[in-house]
Amino acid sequence: MSTNTLAWSGLTADRTRMLRLLQEYGVYAALVVLFLVAVGLDTSFVEMSNIRVQLFQLAPTLLVALGMALVIGTEGIDLSVGAVIALAASVVPLYAGYGLGGVLLAALLLGAASGAVGGAMVAFARIQPIVATLSLMIGVRGLAEIVNGNSAKAVTQSGVLALGSRTVAGIPEMAWIAAVCALLTGLLVRRTTFGRQLVAVGDNRRAGWLSGLPVRRVLITVYVISGVLAALAGVLVVGHGAEADPANQGLNMELNAITAVVVGGTPLSGGRVRVLGTVAGALFMQLITAVLTQHNVHTSYTQIVEAAIICFAVYASQERGTR
Amino acid sequence: MYSFFRAKAVSAAVVTAGLCLSATACTNSGDDSSSGKSADNTAAAQQVASPSASATGPGCTYQTYGGGVPKLDITDGKTVVGFSQSESTSNPFRATETKSITDQAKKLGVKLIQRNANADVNTQNSQIEDMIAQGAKVLIVAPENSDGLGPALAKAKAKKIPVLTIDRTVTGTACTDYIAFIGSNFYGQAQIAADDLAAANSKAHVAILTGSPGNNVTTDRTKGFQDQVKAKYPNVKIVASQTGNFAQADGQKVMEQLLQAHPDIDAVYAENDEMALGAIQAIKSAGKTPGKDVKIVTIDGIQQMVQDVADGLAVADIETNPRFGPLAFQSLQDFYGTTGVQPKVIIKDGHFTADNAKQALSQGLVY
Repeated sequence: MSTNTLAWSGLTADRTRMLRLLQEYGVYAALVVLFLVAVGLDTSFVEMSNIRVQLFQLAPTLLVALGMALVIGTEGIDLSVGAVIALAASVVPLYAGYGLGGVLLAALLLGAASGAVGGAMVAFARIQPIVATLSLMIGVRGLAEIVNGNSAKAVTQSGVLALGSRTVAGIPEMAWIAAVCALLTGLLVRRTTFGRQLVAVGDNRRAGWLSGLPVRRVLITVYVISGVLAALAGVLVVGHGAEADPANQGLNMELNAITAVVVGGTPLSGGRVRVLGTVAGALFMQLITAVLTQHNVHTSYTQIVEAAIICFAVYASQERGTR
Repeated sequence: MYSFFRAKAVSAAVVTAGLCLSATACTNSGDDSSSGKSADNTAAAQQVASPSASATGPGCTYQTYGGGVPKLDITDGKTVVGFSQSESTSNPFRATETKSITDQAKKLGVKLIQRNANADVNTQNSQIEDMIAQGAKVLIVAPENSDGLGPALAKAKAKKIPVLTIDRTVTGTACTDYIAFIGSNFYGQAQIAADDLAAANSKAHVAILTGSPGNNVTTDRTKGFQDQVKAKYPNVKIVASQTGNFAQADGQKVMEQLLQAHPDIDAVYAENDEMALGAIQAIKSAGKTPGKDVKIVTIDGIQQMVQDVADGLAVADIETNPRFGPLAFQSLQDFYGTTGVQPKVIIKDGHFTADNAKQALSQGLVY
């Protein structure tokens, strides 16, 4: 009897350890395996031109995912990011006359404003994040379509176009920007008081309130950051596509970002933000899409593969047990 | 975990609505450029390409429709005709379509009421029922999708109100559930695209950017191209076929990937103009020259793309004509007359190439 119990608990311990390892390092291992498989299938996958294409496509998703990771860290969710991309896209033609600086300023301010509204709904009105940002998602896209006159517009502003197409040291400028933002986000979470407060608020909001943390300020700030990053992504999307199309740009982006965060191992229950994991998660999803598209796999199958990955990632984070 | 799945479910629903919008941006178009007429609704400029009544037997009339419906004179200024537009007129195709119907009604002295469902099929159902309640005796409907208008069509049928469908089909039987369908020949458009591509490069290695999956426009435009290539151009090779969801950004992303995987791609067939615009961006960023290294053919005929044809970036753009007004009202008059209407009436689409694109743009023939 006692040996039985011992064996059983030993097994459980092993299983728990394995799942924890999977949770902590699974995404990096998966990324390496995927890359090797991709190269095995077609050696040209390692070519710089291919890496560049992947980085161009990765950058906007990664920017949005970074903001999403912070929001999810507070046990929230931000569904409005795709619409904020559309809003940013809609102001690009309007402010093109003021150059890249004017465009960025206008777009980022609007992104911040949208985030502040969402954050205020969550922090002050105590509306559930999913409902607050869902309403924002619908309203902001509508606003974007009104601002743009609701039809796709070609963009010719040279600064915006350069931002979406130029490379520095062979790496897209967009990717450098995303990398810097990832670094800053990592520092924010790991090295600042704000980062610790964010994690504390996500871990246990009531305890945060009782211990006098500035819960509302933290909540509003993360939604503002998410809005600003989404707006930046929006300008990059417009620059890369040379077109502002608020009816279509940013569609599904909130889902892609959530996927990247979840695959990266950040728990949706809050209290933890994995920035590097999010980078790896976004990269993993990008490479999966790339491999399947390049090998001409039908989209329907691509979607099934992506769904399986998401389910597995959620399962892995769920089985992590007590924190 | 729970909140995650809820998030997915709710936003997926919202996203679906958005996708419908993009899917419908597929149908875009100018006038028949070869006719040299103005962009207005000259009936002659959009005549029927389908077989005439004599060739295929009698058409559908008020006497044969659903066991017979009351005869009406739609131009008597009292008979109310209802027009249900599926999508926002922010889309140039929809704007031109609505204007064409409205203008022709005015010209003929038809009393027209209209509603716009803004891409929501439930809204379209209730709007059609509203118009019936308001006394519409005959309906022109641009359906949001094939299967969603059952309730409205049943109501119309019960009240013996005939329905003419334009630009998209509805499921059912012609002359029973609806009078007829007027629209482009999507299969034929794709065949013309294949001809144009083969003429530009008879040994092309083609990438196909298909529209949203499960859409009859996508199915026809894919099959038409593939069949034509198989039948007539054995040296044209289809290297890859991936969906770009009728959207510019998706078209660009997919094209970027395909150019990496298949450096031999030297031609693109895009099933709408938005994806073609995306492909042009992708080709440029791969360091190639659209129109020279990679030949592009596309469908719809929106201004920006026709401009690209004029500038030599693309080989051809086959129009999807939204100017249904004259043909729709002519069909209704035939329905209430003796000629009758054939189940499928094909509207004549323009065809923009390097030869006529510039001229068509300057004459305002492009929407």
